[in-house]
Amino acid sequence: MTVAAGAGHIAPSFSCAEILVALYYGGVIRVKPSDPAWEDRDRFILSKGQAAVSLYAVLADLGFSPLEELLTFTQKGSKLGGHTEDTIPGVEAFTGSLGHGLSIAAGLALGARHREKQYLTVALLGDGECHEGSIWEAAMLAGHHRLTNLLAIVDNNGQSATDFTASYLTLEPMADKWRAFGWEVRTVDGHSFPELLKALRDVHAPSYDRPLCIVANTIKGKGVSFMERKPIWHYRIPVGEELKIAMRELQWMEP
Amino acid sequence: MKRRVSDEATKCWVTGMRDAFSDALYAIARRDPRVILVTSDTGAVCHDDFKAEIPRQYLNVGIAEQNMIGVGAGLAMAGHIVYTYAIVPFATMRCYEQIRVDLCCMGRLPVTVVGIGAGFDYNTLGPTHHGTEDIALMRTLPGMTILSPSDSVLAAACARISYETPGPKYVRLDRVGLPLIYPEDATDFAEGLTHLRKGDDVCIVATGRMVMRALEVADALARKGIAVSVVDLYRVKPVNVKRLLEIMRASKRVATIEEHFLTGGIGSLVAEIMADENACLPQKRFGLPDCFCREYGPREHLHSLFQLDLPSIAHGIADWVGT
Repeated sequence: MTVAAGAGHIAPSFSCAEILVALYYGGVIRVKPSDPAWEDRDRFILSKGQAAVSLYAVLADLGFSPLEELLTFTQKGSKLGGHTEDTIPGVEAFTGSLGHGLSIAAGLALGARHREKQYLTVALLGDGECHEGSIWEAAMLAGHHRLTNLLAIVDNNGQSATDFTASYLTLEPMADKWRAFGWEVRTVDGHSFPELLKALRDVHAPSYDRPLCIVANTIKGKGVSFMERKPIWHYRIPVGEELKIAMRELQWMEP
Repeated sequence: MKRRVSDEATKCWVTGMRDAFSDALYAIARRDPRVILVTSDTGAVCHDDFKAEIPRQYLNVGIAEQNMIGVGAGLAMAGHIVYTYAIVPFATMRCYEQIRVDLCCMGRLPVTVVGIGAGFDYNTLGPTHHGTEDIALMRTLPGMTILSPSDSVLAAACARISYETPGPKYVRLDRVGLPLIYPEDATDFAEGLTHLRKGDDVCIVATGRMVMRALEVADALARKGIAVSVVDLYRVKPVNVKRLLEIMRASKRVATIEEHFLTGGIGSLVAEIMADENACLPQKRFGLPDCFCREYGPREHLHSLFQLDLPSIAHGIADWVGT
């Protein structure tokens, strides 16, 4: 869809692809594609809204919308924009401006507690997004209120839009920061399904008494050798030979 | 404990604007457990009832306004009817982008942003605490309803109006808001504006505390034989354009008075409406010029520095009218 559109954030979407698959296909996020507004559904907030293409692919595959619609991505008349909008079936929040999603998720989790609802709220954050102060305002609130019904996953790829975070404003020690804010923290390889699923095993019956943060160490542009850890691919679409290589490495098969 | 304040005009003890709003909101919240008040460590005393009696409907998020709006949005998505509360600049500007995206872009959520301290209400605290740009900023947001009450009676009504109005709202409050303009039993504020005084020489459109100033000006000018019409524009968005034009057209001129920067406030709003509706009348705007107020002292003193005091406005209009 990104190639057809000539638009989209491929590398940030690849870095969280396995995380989304683990959440949606690993029994973590409970939703009904035939009933997107199901009251008891788990709420997922893609706080790093630039990873929209990965979420669109998952939602379409699950049946929230027709697969053909993916090819309309960012085209005239499409509802699939470069960032997720809450009007898309399966999408909860309008994201794209960074630093908003965890506050919204904390509000949802508090509201669920107040209204005695059993759903889980999940926010997927970028690590570069954690430069936003509002993330830590929300982290503090969730820690204080011991929101065990809130899960944050940090797609910890070490890069932001233009550079490696360690080279200009380090976010490490990432796990210790969340721990200090009152969260249960688990660090995993964010491209390993066994590690992700193990870390997510008890989210519906928490063995912990605070919100859970998974620090998922990832590689930006994962799966395409020339994109991996290359800042220039934050927002760039492969063409010509690049596209052939990428398709080969991703084991692309014509449908 | 609620504070009762002395109304100099009537010599009665009445409830101030801030407490009138919070009392009315508390009464609503007692009936509807979905209502929740979210503060960023502001409004200590006037929220005592919430804290003591319905603590599950009160949330202090600390001095973190961006998070206040995002959490408010999440609570609304979970089924709550949310009121956020802070001093005007922090309620609106510190978290403006959260209001824009989380409340206005997203699903038109039932969240009311309450700003306390309109204009120079915090007269001793300097420009960091002055509410002088909020109307301009909030009225650019699609879907936002803006309420700017002129006294305690209307402030209490704004709690009810905001509860009943869908989508995001902004309520701009004074702490005290006296003297009273409306009878204490007034309840009908559906029209969005009130035509308080009739006169065909000049129509003054004002909002918030400046409505009382407009009435004083009307009295002063009446003694000079100038007939002044006064409109309390308490719903700044959406404006009741039809009714406002009808009232303004009955006068030869329009004056606007606001304790807000001239850029983008209700003077701009009235000019835009007249231009769009091909209904231009001569207009004179009274408001704050393009500079911050770094002076201190009584609110009236600050008004006099910017020609928002009674003599300046009365003389300004009298000279304009040509008497």
